[in-house]
Amino acid sequence: MENKIKDFESAIGELETIVKTLEAGDLSLEQSLQLFERGVELSRFCHTRLEDAERRIEILSQSGEREAAPETLTLSPEDGGEA
Amino acid sequence: MNGPPSLPFGEPAHTPAPAREVVSVSELTNRIRAVLESTHGEVWVEGEIANCRLWKTGHLYFTLRDEHAQLKAVMFRSAVRALRFTPEDGLRVIARGRVTVYEPKGEYQIVCEQLQPQGVGALQVAFDQLKRTLKADGLFEASRKRPLPLLPRQIGVVTSLNGAALRDILKVLARRHPTAHVVICPVRVQGDGAADQIARGIDQLSRQEEVDVIIVGRGGGSLEDLWAFNEEPVARAIATAAVPVISAVGHEIDVTISDMVADVRAATPSAAAEIVVAGRDELVGRVDRFEDRLRATVRDTIRRLLTRVLELDRRPGLAGWPARVAVRGRHTAELTHSLTRTALSRLAALERRLRTAQFGLEAHEPGRRLEVSRTRLVVAGERLGAAIVQRRQRLEGRLGDLTGRLEALSPLGVLARGYAVCWNANRTAIVRDASAVSVGDDVAITLRQGQLTCTVTAKE
Repeated sequence: MENKIKDFESAIGELETIVKTLEAGDLSLEQSLQLFERGVELSRFCHTRLEDAERRIEILSQSGEREAAPETLTLSPEDGGEA
Repeated sequence: MNGPPSLPFGEPAHTPAPAREVVSVSELTNRIRAVLESTHGEVWVEGEIANCRLWKTGHLYFTLRDEHAQLKAVMFRSAVRALRFTPEDGLRVIARGRVTVYEPKGEYQIVCEQLQPQGVGALQVAFDQLKRTLKADGLFEASRKRPLPLLPRQIGVVTSLNGAALRDILKVLARRHPTAHVVICPVRVQGDGAADQIARGIDQLSRQEEVDVIIVGRGGGSLEDLWAFNEEPVARAIATAAVPVISAVGHEIDVTISDMVADVRAATPSAAAEIVVAGRDELVGRVDRFEDRLRATVRDTIRRLLTRVLELDRRPGLAGWPARVAVRGRHTAELTHSLTRTALSRLAALERRLRTAQFGLEAHEPGRRLEVSRTRLVVAGERLGAAIVQRRQRLEGRLGDLTGRLEALSPLGVLARGYAVCWNANRTAIVRDASAVSVGDDVAITLRQGQLTCTVTAKE
């Protein structure tokens, strides 16, 4: 099994395959543990992709350049809670 | 323009024949034109459009007619451009213009400055017309609608920087997807040039490498306010955008052309933001479900293997194995011990590995936003941990029991309890009966610790 995780799509795809293989049974304990460990690695990768990003708000100028949005727009979630 | 028109022919009717004035066609036509233009400088005329043709030059030629008469009409390019709708045959309109004469053809006509559809407003006519055109072009086809990305790397937003729409979108994203990366393309959303700006914004954002979805919209307003979203440039820009577009204009009741062309229509800008993050929620759920299944399968595998181990001694073929092992004599204890040790250390290794993997599964756990799934994971993890411990205890107990039974059968175990084994002098047979030896014979005694050589002094 290759070890590099390419991107989210391939990760969740491989994860699905692993789960299905495991569910099909007929594996030795050693094999299932190996798959399990790989599955954990993949699901961790997926969660990282889902969570590990920084909130960013940018403005695209007419010339195609990006700049950070003014602070008035970048409220924190708490500030944004009110109706 | 007061009073009845006075013909500028001098008084030819009263002049005698010799003094008659002969004019050229051009001159006469010119005079007629002058009369008409001075008396009908600006008129409003109502009629139905017929024979409508837009020339390549951009000028529009048509006929205005009612039941009894018709009037040639022309509208020049600049006026045509200012129209919100496209004049077409059968449309009843009120035209504002001035009457003039087209001299090369000797025709009088009205040069229209403005046209207003009768009955429904111009905007409604324009709306219906564009809708018809776009529909004919297939832009509303369900098959054109693209699915939204589950995990957009960046979210493009085309709207006014100062509008409620942007605030609403950012508010929802801050709450539902705190780590969203948003790229805003600020545009006018109403008034002159708004449609072109919006169209350009969509195009510009869809060319950004990582922008995977675009929200275009504004808050609610009058039909006039929302008009830019009913204009063709916006519709075409949405249709040709490289990534899916969510249209979010105003409130529920206002359906715009851009809503119809967009891949997804959201009732409000807030709803659009919710739709964008729904995909991510689904992904989180999917990963979580895979994790649950992962755990379940490993749990099952272990259960299956443990069951097999526990059933070993019940198998007929193995039924007597402690007894058979016992025949091996003094090695039995060590053998039993190493069996136990191997089994337990294998089990412990498995458990360690499971726990490590388990830990990995929990270590990534995101912050408070995923509390629900976190709780689920922890509970599942604890259950799994408990199950493993319980099975391990059961297996240990079982192994202890087997060991005990092995030891009970071992001669060494018997010796430990104080019994001794009596052999004949050359240790070829165990002395089970006193008649097997005579007084004066030597016998060998095996104790728990060490051997004795003894002489028989009496028999009973």
